[in-house]
Amino acid sequence: MSSVEEIEDLIGKVSLGDRQAFGRLYDLTNAKLFGVALRVLKDRASAEDVLQETYMKVWRRADRYARGGTSPMTWLITIARNTAIDKLRARRDSDDIDAMADMLPGSGPTPEQVAVAAGEAGRIADCLGELESPRDRAVRGAYLEGLSYAELSEKLGVPLNTVRTWLRRSLISLRECMER
Amino acid sequence: MTDASPPDRDDDNLLAAEYVLRLLPSSEMRAFEARLEAEPDLRKEVAAWTERLAGMNPEFAEEAATGAVKDALMTRLFGAPPPRPSFWQRLGLWQGLSVASLLLAGFFAWQLMLTGSPDPAERGPLYVSEIAADDQSLRILAVYDSNAGELQLNRTDGQAAAGRALELWVIADGNAPVSLGVLPDAEAASLPLPEEFRAGVADLTLAISDEPPGGSPTGQPTGAVLAVGTVTEL
Repeated sequence: MSSVEEIEDLIGKVSLGDRQAFGRLYDLTNAKLFGVALRVLKDRASAEDVLQETYMKVWRRADRYARGGTSPMTWLITIARNTAIDKLRARRDSDDIDAMADMLPGSGPTPEQVAVAAGEAGRIADCLGELESPRDRAVRGAYLEGLSYAELSEKLGVPLNTVRTWLRRSLISLRECMER
Repeated sequence: MTDASPPDRDDDNLLAAEYVLRLLPSSEMRAFEARLEAEPDLRKEVAAWTERLAGMNPEFAEEAATGAVKDALMTRLFGAPPPRPSFWQRLGLWQGLSVASLLLAGFFAWQLMLTGSPDPAERGPLYVSEIAADDQSLRILAVYDSNAGELQLNRTDGQAAAGRALELWVIADGNAPVSLGVLPDAEAASLPLPEEFRAGVADLTLAISDEPPGGSPTGQPTGAVLAVGTVTEL
């Protein structure tokens, strides 16, 4: 059984309340989801909290997986990423925005390394590469670091409206590039 | 290229992308989620953007969380810490007989033969077992005389904890433990082996558990398994 099929199978069992399958799903996927939370939050303690919250959602929402129409790993990463970003936003309300300085570029493999490693990832990296920097950085900062428009505006040193226009144009280019 | 807004026909599509990126202000996000419930086409846009942007997922470096996170998660979800290893799993922790113990058991068996029938031909086979804790804090040597149908027990190390009792169990492969009784305070004791275990004595496992005074109230071990031994024919 491929790992994609196994993860899908485990999510199906979890939706039926299978605790053993849930433990196995955790073992197979926690490193990736912890990596997501860590990338967004830059802090192990917060990332561990988010990891727990993520799997609690997975336990409760596994029955909704099939409705999403995405691959199982993408579904899990989406939950982890959204949970981490919500935590980041809640924290930002009380934190100094300066703490966010120098977030880009983040840790992890470079787009070039990733492009070599994975075909689909290579495709989006190529398409992102076609975009003019720093518009490319806006999409990457929003997706990989969970930055808001306000944070992107500060980071890239451009007004809020300009950031939104840049990002939307980037998304259109990205969509067209990936549909080619 | 100007900074003018993209054409309107793209609005829903781009809104879906911004939703996936978690860029919408919370009020707009809630409004968008309400529309998602009712609009399947919008859900497809969201799924398509989710997969497109998932192309960046390999850039999230993997890093395993500590085992404590999983324990905490399981406790939060299911209320109790992971169950203790089962009786059978704990049995697996114990390994065979030490040479010294075999020699000592042989000595006890020899004494038994001397005090029993003088003619070895009239005797059935003899079996020994060292029922021991892995750290030797409790050790009981058992010799089974197949003629008498009795287990002769000699406790050579350790004793019951204050206010507790040691209970002896016999386990036939794959079955639940059956109590042979609570060990007396004396170091030497003799307990009959129930008829149903006598034929297969060589395949039995003997175990000692920590129990309340008078033995397990449930008929199965309730306390820690302190010592385990397998049976060997002499």
